[in-house]
Amino acid sequence: MTPEVKEAVEEVRRFFGEIEVKDVSQGGALVVVKEVFLGDQYAPSKSWIGFVIGFQYPRADVYPHFVTHELKRVDGKSLGSGFSAPVVWDEKQSTQISRRSNRLDPSVDTAATKLAKVLKWINDR
Amino acid sequence: MKKCTFTLDEKLYNQLHRHLFPGDHDEHGAIIIAGVSEDENEIRFLGRELVIARDGVEYLPGKYGYRRLSAEFVANQSQRCSVSKLCYFAVHCHSGENSVDFSSIDMESHKRGYPALLDITKGGPVGALVFAKNAVAGEIWTPSQIYKLSHLTIIGSKILKLYPNQQVRSIHKPHEIYDRHIRLFGDAGQDIINNLKVGIIGLGGGGSLINEFITRLGVGQIIAVDDQKIEPTNLPRVVGSTQFDAMTSLFNSKTKLLRKLGKSLSKSKVHIAKRVAKTANKNIDFVSIQGNVLDENVATKLKNCDFLFLATDNHQTRLVFNALVQQYLIPGIQIGVFINKDKETSTVDSILINTRPVMPYLSGGCLECHQLISPIRLQEESLTPDERRKQRYVDFEEVPQPNVITLNAVSAAQAVNDFMMMFTGLFSSNVNMYHIQQEAVKRERFTILSALNTNCLDCSLHPKSRKAKGDRARLPCRWNE
Repeated sequence: MTPEVKEAVEEVRRFFGEIEVKDVSQGGALVVVKEVFLGDQYAPSKSWIGFVIGFQYPRADVYPHFVTHELKRVDGKSLGSGFSAPVVWDEKQSTQISRRSNRLDPSVDTAATKLAKVLKWINDR
Repeated sequence: MKKCTFTLDEKLYNQLHRHLFPGDHDEHGAIIIAGVSEDENEIRFLGRELVIARDGVEYLPGKYGYRRLSAEFVANQSQRCSVSKLCYFAVHCHSGENSVDFSSIDMESHKRGYPALLDITKGGPVGALVFAKNAVAGEIWTPSQIYKLSHLTIIGSKILKLYPNQQVRSIHKPHEIYDRHIRLFGDAGQDIINNLKVGIIGLGGGGSLINEFITRLGVGQIIAVDDQKIEPTNLPRVVGSTQFDAMTSLFNSKTKLLRKLGKSLSKSKVHIAKRVAKTANKNIDFVSIQGNVLDENVATKLKNCDFLFLATDNHQTRLVFNALVQQYLIPGIQIGVFINKDKETSTVDSILINTRPVMPYLSGGCLECHQLISPIRLQEESLTPDERRKQRYVDFEEVPQPNVITLNAVSAAQAVNDFMMMFTGLFSSNVNMYHIQQEAVKRERFTILSALNTNCLDCSLHPKSRKAKGDRARLPCRWNE
């Protein structure tokens, strides 16, 4: 892992608790946060969430994010744009969440702040 | 002993010059905080930040000599260097125009102060520069040795060099084949070009033209980087390539095995570039690297170039190129052609021919400040084609882009002209090195005004910025540990 990626992983661990981390090629990391709250409008309301931090982080965006493939809305509506399922990620069935950062500021934005924004977006849907 | 040099960008130098020579014929002082780049032949210091010592506040009457930096100022700035792992240089001026040296009092003060400063800055190096109006001398202390400064390079629209004595420069008489060049920029101009070391990243359509142009211009050393081999569809655009280089007959075979053989036997683009360069100038020192600038061991081979050209079409290499320019204070130019076609009708909407000078100072055309390095593209380019397909990136064009040699030639010629004008001093004073865009469909030409992000991690003085840190920062390359 590059020093920048290592620092990002530690920040995610600090803010989101238990994580699994794997080295990926070229100096990036594959990170899975064991459990996050997605919102009571979803079943299940909690899931793991995973993403890859690329070797050119913090300049490269951190996206997409992946959660359980079982994710559904409790009101029966579709998950809507931004979600796609099923996709295979890290050899498991997943729901992909595509939230690009068009105005990324690498002097401020981190993998942890991006994850917080993605979770807020999911929660607000 | 290694040669010791210093590089400053034009903006920092002008600010320093105004402070040292305000017209009062008095002595003034400052500190330069610098990064360093070292290889087997040279230690090159890279000016990152100028800290002015205010007269009567931080620059005071001396105990041993005429003036001195205040102890508090030296302590604060050397501590900053220690924390940021950068080098400390005390600067002052002497009277005179074209030659300068330290006084015996200056040398004594180095002996008294620099061993302690080396300790404070955890090995520095530390040193001093003394300026006359058109000259500079320097002394650099490392834990093992004391060096004299060979020269100082100022990077701007004119690349200038200052020496301890401006009058003792010897010029090698250039070869007579350069007669027409010499009539334009003189023996001195040709001698400068003959002694340049230039990096070219990407030796495809645009890069091969740059290679041809700068070789015939007389550049003495080229480092060419490209990991690709030539293919038959490259032949109409890559200068000097042949059907045999591309193994066209095998490539067109109906047998898969022969096509595979063709691919394996085809020549690398850097091999062809070397042949082209040697044809133009058999004495050229041509280093061909069949590799990717995303690998640190390749990228660092470019760190002591005098100039860089970027002629690739991806954002990952833009990031590394921009980093090399800003981190090692190497001026560069990115070239490229972008053709917009209507997705439904395939009509050509616009043909954009870009020549983008990237100078290592604020508002100098930094690709990051101009938002020409997309965080999204960086993420997508790091994935394998299979990963991209699985993640369904529809915006990521994997189909080859349209292009023809004449479009590349427009941007390459503009780039090499800019390069030549900078080094031979032919540009008029205060010329702006703005990005230039030509639009071929409407036959228009635009100047793109400078963009500035004061938090830029490449060109600003943000604490995390790589600007002028040299070997004291990491390039955004693949990690190999």
